[in-house]
Amino acid sequence: MSNGSKVSTGREPLIRIVKREYNNKLIPGLIRAGALILSIIAGGLFIWAMGFNPFEAYKSIIRGALVGSARDPMSSIRSTIDIFVPLCVTALGLSCAFKMKFWNIGGEGQIIMGGVFATFFALNYPQIPRPLMLLIMLIAGAVGGALMALIPALFKVKFGTNETLFTLMLNYIAIYIVKYLIAGPWQRTPGFASIGKLDKNTYLYEINRQNIGWIAVIIVVLFVYFYLYKTKSGYEVSVVGESQATARYAGMNIRKIIIKTMLISGAICGIVGMIKVSSNHTLTEGIGGGVGFAAITVAWLSQLNPFIIPIVSAIISILQKGSTVMQMNMGISSYAADVLQGIILFCFLGSEFFVRYSLVFNLRIKEAK
Amino acid sequence: MKKSVRIIALILALATVFALVGCGKQTGGEGETQDTTLAEGQTFAPIPADKIKIGVVHITSKDDTSGYTYAHQKGIEEMAAALGLKSEQIVIRDNVDDNDVEATKAALQDLVDAGCDVIFATSYNYMDAVEEYAEKYPDIIFSHCSGYKSNGKNFNNYFGRIYEARYLSGIAAGLKAKELGVPIVGFVGAKGSDNSEVTGGINAFALGVQSVYPECEVLVKITGEWYDPAAEGIAAKALIDAGAVVLSQHCDSDTVQTTAAQAGRFGVGYNSDMTPSAPNNHLTAPIWNWGVYYTQTVEAIIKGEWKCENYYEGYNVNLVGLSPLNEKAIAHGTKEAVEEAQKKIASGELFVFSGPLYDNQGNQILKEGEKLTDEQITGEINYYIKGVRVL
Amino acid sequence: MTNTTYAIELKNICKNFGSVAANKNVSLNVKYGEILALLGENGSGKTTLMNMLSGIYHPDSGEIWIDGKHTVINSPKDSFKLKIGMIHQHFKLVDVFTAAENIIMGTEGFVGSSKKAAEKIKEIADGFGFSIDPNKKVYDMSVGEKQTVEIIKVLYRGARILILDEPTAVLTPQETEKLFKVLDNMRKDGCAIIIITHKLNEVMAISDRVTVLRKGETVATVDTKTTDIRKLTELMVGRPVELKIDRPETERSAEPMFFVKDLCVRNEEDVFALKNVSFELYGGEILGVAGVAGSGQRELCETIAGLMQAESGEITYKGENILHKSPAEIIDLGISMSFIPEDRLGMGLVASMDIADNMLLKSYKKSKGLVINRKPSRELAEKLVKRLEIVTPSIKTPVSRLSGGNVQKVLIGREIESNPNILITAYPVRGLDINSSFTIYNLLNEQKAKGVAVLYIGEDLDVILELCDRVMVLCHGEVMGIVDPRKVTKEDIGLMMLGNKLEKEGGAENE
Repeated sequence: MSNGSKVSTGREPLIRIVKREYNNKLIPGLIRAGALILSIIAGGLFIWAMGFNPFEAYKSIIRGALVGSARDPMSSIRSTIDIFVPLCVTALGLSCAFKMKFWNIGGEGQIIMGGVFATFFALNYPQIPRPLMLLIMLIAGAVGGALMALIPALFKVKFGTNETLFTLMLNYIAIYIVKYLIAGPWQRTPGFASIGKLDKNTYLYEINRQNIGWIAVIIVVLFVYFYLYKTKSGYEVSVVGESQATARYAGMNIRKIIIKTMLISGAICGIVGMIKVSSNHTLTEGIGGGVGFAAITVAWLSQLNPFIIPIVSAIISILQKGSTVMQMNMGISSYAADVLQGIILFCFLGSEFFVRYSLVFNLRIKEAK
Repeated sequence: MKKSVRIIALILALATVFALVGCGKQTGGEGETQDTTLAEGQTFAPIPADKIKIGVVHITSKDDTSGYTYAHQKGIEEMAAALGLKSEQIVIRDNVDDNDVEATKAALQDLVDAGCDVIFATSYNYMDAVEEYAEKYPDIIFSHCSGYKSNGKNFNNYFGRIYEARYLSGIAAGLKAKELGVPIVGFVGAKGSDNSEVTGGINAFALGVQSVYPECEVLVKITGEWYDPAAEGIAAKALIDAGAVVLSQHCDSDTVQTTAAQAGRFGVGYNSDMTPSAPNNHLTAPIWNWGVYYTQTVEAIIKGEWKCENYYEGYNVNLVGLSPLNEKAIAHGTKEAVEEAQKKIASGELFVFSGPLYDNQGNQILKEGEKLTDEQITGEINYYIKGVRVL
Repeated sequence: MTNTTYAIELKNICKNFGSVAANKNVSLNVKYGEILALLGENGSGKTTLMNMLSGIYHPDSGEIWIDGKHTVINSPKDSFKLKIGMIHQHFKLVDVFTAAENIIMGTEGFVGSSKKAAEKIKEIADGFGFSIDPNKKVYDMSVGEKQTVEIIKVLYRGARILILDEPTAVLTPQETEKLFKVLDNMRKDGCAIIIITHKLNEVMAISDRVTVLRKGETVATVDTKTTDIRKLTELMVGRPVELKIDRPETERSAEPMFFVKDLCVRNEEDVFALKNVSFELYGGEILGVAGVAGSGQRELCETIAGLMQAESGEITYKGENILHKSPAEIIDLGISMSFIPEDRLGMGLVASMDIADNMLLKSYKKSKGLVINRKPSRELAEKLVKRLEIVTPSIKTPVSRLSGGNVQKVLIGREIESNPNILITAYPVRGLDINSSFTIYNLLNEQKAKGVAVLYIGEDLDVILELCDRVMVLCHGEVMGIVDPRKVTKEDIGLMMLGNKLEKEGGAENE
């Protein structure tokens, strides 16, 4: 049966992909550290190719994010924290849903509705004293976000709709609701689509000119950790996320768990909306600012770990704030600054592949020939 | 093992946050002592020309080759050249979404931190954030384009009578439609009747069209965004399908012009001469010569003569104008008609928004002999005049 | 090295997955006109090895020689060019196509020449003694018929080297016999055949030589004639093993603990998976359920456990009808029922959680308040690890990292710890090595001795016959009869599995 001439079936592949297994955490750490270094080098090469000094650029990023100006040394850190707080809290909120493998892409919409609900009270009852007002706005924000998250959860549970598309599309609905409100019933000055500035007693308190939104980070980190890892409900979330068959087997009420978890996820995102309104002192259609999407990356990079999320959020906030300053100071195009951010994120996300898999190079290739 | 890692992480996170707050405590005081209050109408001390630092917030990229930001950026560059400023003295934050207050404030903070003495914010929705920053940093001059607020101290607004140029461009569009024998022209607007600037511009354009072709209708399509090339293209197509033969625009890209040219229709651009985008179809464009304002303002600041006054000029100082009429596209007699009207406007003989004026619902806005005030023009036009129809 | 040309010769093949060596210096060969049995327990690397021959994996080191030539197989297409045909455990057929369509699909001349193809199929079938209707749709076929289609499919493509991965796992004894006849014909025709299996009597029945794998390494290659089951077991397990399964005589409860009456269940495709199933289950007995895979076993278990909705019928436990009750409600009734599902990691356990957290699955609701008390579950985990000799780095290791046998010990251990009255086990030894299997049998016998009513769904008839006190045979969701395993042969049960109802007279239900 031998047909000699046709037996040849090509060469051995040069590279093969092999799944890794670990017994310690050192190697993944090293890989991630390597990715960081690589990203800095790759980004540097890009800056250099654009005709700028990469060292200057990185210095500018760090200074821009952490070191303020002579007149106000804390201003940069304040700006960085302003980016950090919404990103981190939203990522924490989303991580609750993600833990359940419910793909809540609707963080943006939930932030917006949280903002809308909070604004409703801020606009209509300005006479309420400040502490009470802030508390009401906080609750309203949480309720707004939760309701927005409830819609896809109900549809998922009742009709088995795909939550990814559903939550994504709700974001646009939320944006149009805001557009309608600020150009319609809530418009302050005819001819200008704006609700104007909110009353002073709706502003978040400030400590050293930094609004206290960061307190939310601490509270929500602890809450999410406690909820997911210490409570019965959190245990149920993990089981449902792993396998609905197992959850059914254990006698869990999957529908109830999905709805409850989405209410929590949405409420946390809604709180972000409230913080934004209360620290921006107004509601605009850009209130989401893409945080709902950026937070998805943060949540996954942190592997849904509530203690890693603040760290990753901080890195991304520093990068975001710093690169705008770099771009401004060095006259680099803001698109180029975006590319630099992209390169760094790409290296980080790419490293996760190498954490899970390794490449085996075939050194015997010549020998085989 | 795992638990200890978690606890360390938590401690680190908390430590970071408290460290930040702690730092804030130490240095916050300094920041506040620097705040000096200025009395109303007080002038600022002169700043040497080689020391002054100018900040600009743009809504799109400073490297744009046409459109709104391009016009402002060109003005800034003209100013820098006229006053001999070096490039390090101009600090630019571009692509700042004006619907995102947070981004706006972050951009203003960056410019403050960069040590700017004057900050120009060029888009309408920056207004409230700029107002807040002007209050926060009274020693910096904030100048905001196209809004209506000022504080009489360090925050003014500047804009121009672009409607004058729009009126003139309406004459060019009307004559072209008349030559083609089709009484329909189109207009792609960025914002709806809630925005006085756009709505007033559409009305001025319509009045220009009607001054030469009274039965001509102006169809309007709103995109909702200042800059959204895709939406602008779709809106332009809709107007073309509705039969418009000349398309004008108040939005930031040149998509309307290219779309019109592809369909064999004609166009009136905005902000900059868009003839390169549609060489055979672009008639003219109302343009800004922002360099006039920027040069005058920065010069005044350098000399210590800056006063917090709102700026609202037009053809009188050449702040607005028309890009060169495109001989390949304009109707016969356009040049003469435009020049005549321009002279009358510059001299004050012709005021665009004069009575009798009716809106498209049949309400009379102005009686014979009445005129719109500047406040009305900048903030209160929320109606379309007779002959305008929104699709 | 002789000058014989081997059909396949593997030399020192190594393959690692992460830190796990799936194959280590494996060498084997097979000649044309020969059947080689590849014997080894689950996890000994048989399937990995064969996947390298079919181009799905690539060896880390070692050489593959086909027809006396050193070759590299990079894809299933390469393997097909080398005339190697693989019959996988899970069939890869299009349900809505006919046998003939499935066979010619993807070959040259797929379109148009169906007549010629039908002739060729017939020729192959006649030549080797297959019985096949080329125009029958796959969804109408029994498992045996589907396997026939798979085999003809590779022969149609000209395969001369056949690899069959556990081909008898899904067959009745009668079908197995038929298959072996066909394989014998192919051997006579000069094909080279490798049959992967862990069933020793089949090895003895069909193969010429046996290559035994243990933990990824070749232990020995022996001539079938010169060996016996005991020796092979020793080679496979690595030490002498007692192969007799205990069936302790225990006192059966006087009254049935549990009735199932006229149970009808529709499956996800809305087809009846169970039709009028009735039986009773006594305390202190193991009731075996035999049947071809997919005869309604899964549905039976899940319906009893409250995971599937029944259409009609009754399930009575101590006078209470528990049909239409959710698992939570069943628990609330104070009925202690434990279910060991077929899909251990996908249903019985949470794969990414550690042993301790998996203990919580059935008990977390018992902790008071919102917060979970993990202390009892940790203690339980420690206890089980010790008592059942579960091999794990710690109770903090995710169960997905454990071997199949240890996973099953975790699952059964947890369920037994809840002191059930009824224990339902679906394929509890599937995929386990002989050692672990015997641990499980012992655990089940222990429960039986405690007076628990045990329902045992199994696939290996030999085991069912040795372990169970009574055996119920299912076919297409219907009960074919309940027999005493001491009084029937494997062939009797095989006939019932194929749909022959037990005649009342011959019934051995009552002792």
